[in-house]
Amino acid sequence: MLAVMLREFRLILRRPALLGLVVVLPVLMLVVLTGIFRAGIPTGMAVVVVDLDRSDLSRSITRMLDAAPEITVREQALSLTDARAKIVAGHARGAIYLPQGLERDILRGAPPEIVIFYDNQHMSAGSLVARGARGAIDAALTGLRLSVRQGQGEAPVQAMVSIQPIPLQAHALFNPAFDYVHFLLAALVPTVLQIIAAAATAYAISLDFGPGRHPQVLARMAGGVLPAMLGKILPYTVIFLLILGLSDIALYGWLGVPLRGSLLLMATGAVLFVLGVQLIGAAAFVLTRDMGRAASIIAVITAPAFGFMGLGFPREAMSQLAQAWGALIPGTWYVQLRIDQSLRETPLDISVWSVVWLACIAVALGALVLLRLVRLRREIEATS
Amino acid sequence: MSDILIALRAELRGIFADRQVRLIILVALVIYALIYPYPYRAELLRDVPVVLVDLDRSTISADLARRVNASEAVMLSHDAPDMITATRLVQERRAYGALVIPEGFERALLRGSQSPVALYADASYFLMYQRVMQGAAVPLRQMGAEVEMGRLIAQGTAPDVALAQVSPAVQVEVPLFNPAAGYATYVLPAAFVLILQQTMLMGLALVATRRGQGLGHPVWRVLGRMGAWVALYALLLPVYLIVLPALYGLPNLGNVPAVLMLGLPFVLATGLLAQCVAALFKRGEVVQVVLLAVGLPFFFLSGFAWPVEAIPAHLNWIAQIIPSTAAIDGLVRVSQMGATLPDIGHRLWHLWGLVGAFATVAVSLEVMAHPSTVAGHQTR
Repeated sequence: MLAVMLREFRLILRRPALLGLVVVLPVLMLVVLTGIFRAGIPTGMAVVVVDLDRSDLSRSITRMLDAAPEITVREQALSLTDARAKIVAGHARGAIYLPQGLERDILRGAPPEIVIFYDNQHMSAGSLVARGARGAIDAALTGLRLSVRQGQGEAPVQAMVSIQPIPLQAHALFNPAFDYVHFLLAALVPTVLQIIAAAATAYAISLDFGPGRHPQVLARMAGGVLPAMLGKILPYTVIFLLILGLSDIALYGWLGVPLRGSLLLMATGAVLFVLGVQLIGAAAFVLTRDMGRAASIIAVITAPAFGFMGLGFPREAMSQLAQAWGALIPGTWYVQLRIDQSLRETPLDISVWSVVWLACIAVALGALVLLRLVRLRREIEATS
Repeated sequence: MSDILIALRAELRGIFADRQVRLIILVALVIYALIYPYPYRAELLRDVPVVLVDLDRSTISADLARRVNASEAVMLSHDAPDMITATRLVQERRAYGALVIPEGFERALLRGSQSPVALYADASYFLMYQRVMQGAAVPLRQMGAEVEMGRLIAQGTAPDVALAQVSPAVQVEVPLFNPAAGYATYVLPAAFVLILQQTMLMGLALVATRRGQGLGHPVWRVLGRMGAWVALYALLLPVYLIVLPALYGLPNLGNVPAVLMLGLPFVLATGLLAQCVAALFKRGEVVQVVLLAVGLPFFFLSGFAWPVEAIPAHLNWIAQIIPSTAAIDGLVRVSQMGATLPDIGHRLWHLWGLVGAFATVAVSLEVMAHPSTVAGHQTR
């Protein structure tokens, strides 16, 4: 088996295609993904203000909107039609409508309507715009209410208490810095690696076990089909674990994502994850004995896997079948484990189940590959 | 002209005679159309489970809990005696937040002082965090306003004056497009464009790697192939970008001609890019793995799910080379937001620019790969 492993390492170094697939491609994807999310939560998204009042108050609201970190007031729009056209064309993400008579109506005690329009087709950007604008207008209105009370002779501190009888103390559990970005990155890297590891393993096996190849040479070298297969797979396990480690260094070291859980559990999970994913590739190949068809199976399983992990739309809100499908994919459990052990500080007795699932998937796939290999060996023995 | 037709026919044969290419361009398209949208079928997050930690156990605290429970966004699914139990429930993913009503809540309110409430929302899931915040904040704010108004009226303020003082202006939020904030409506129109691009890149690049030496002048050969892609995708693109979204019940504001106007340079640019990819990686197996791996990064580079404002400038510049970047933005604006061609004119020019650039590369590759045929053509 060791001989096969050494041969495999030499093979990787000799074949530029293999080296490119298992080293250059994943590292490049890691760099690109890190680059995309490095800047963090987006700021300064363009909005337009439709100020039909043009009063001191409307100008001060505009200034407060511009001061919100999420948004930047790009320009004034003359009408709502104009504002909508700017949003449709992509020049702005939202519009704030300040009606005519705003200041007068507020002073008169006839509450006018301030409207925030936001582009919810681009939901991630749109919801940030809405949040920024909501906060700014809230602050402006709070200022107004405070000044009314102070005008009635209330002390500033007392006025603040009076206008908020039930203040909401909001806490962001597990993620106080609201570091959603790095959380996304922590999941995207394994997802892309999952695709590459499965496909590259199938490709590497196809080089020796494919039609027209002679696996018996390899089998004799290792002393059996099983050691031969292990010898083929394990070198890549090492490489992909190194790449995963590199991404962890970038994530937890350079980007400073907190790592609050058990390193041992994370490492066990990583090994089982890589093995499980590789076995998907191996199984796809030994079942089809054709790289083209194997690639299609791998594509169907791993390419849509990100959606089933539930980072955008949570798993618990999916249908049972979608949850079950997600549960069959190693990445789902590994990403959950990473989030649990890095951000959420999940107790081990809960988190260990992710690892158990990963082990189950790896064992099941391993058994499948083994069964096929036994048949393959009989065929080889019959022909030789 | 006959050279073009020969190349066109050869390309169509290359696509339909090869089982693997057929599998990618046709079958995979169908399978992805079923699998990709599957997680998002529920569309909306309703009644996100939240733990109630009511330490006051008074009439007013029960009233507050009832109001929060009545909101569409959240549901008070568990009662917990303390924060430790509540946190554990959240860690087990059985709940996504905890509403803590402290002891003495009612007493403080009746005394006329401030009476805070704490909300712990699971911030490791962005969407859940938003929903939990929304579900609790709105009823809380409303209750606060009622308390403040009650106190003002008790002090002798006229009710209408009190109302104006508590809320000097009404704040309305209007989501334009995707008003229900459906997740499928948000993500699928863009995802379908990307799936179309990736399957097309993969299929056509495979055809290119398996192609023998062509006949005729390189320019005619490339033109002929472009004709073949247009013929095939004149069928597939409308099915994928117009019929399929309709089957999933996604809103559609777009006019068909605008989708097709964008679709044409998108298909041509993608097909030509496939020729470049094939020339770069040569082996079919490698092409497939590379294209599989870049799908997700391409999606995030397109500036759709992750706002372009947050993508570093140099990466964004590179992203413009990928047809999906311009195509997703243009097509989503046309079909989901009702943009007209002048609105997305720059995307249209952008895609035609890519067609021009990739065509130049593809023809040069053709000349380099089979230099003899240029001479052969001239002597014929």
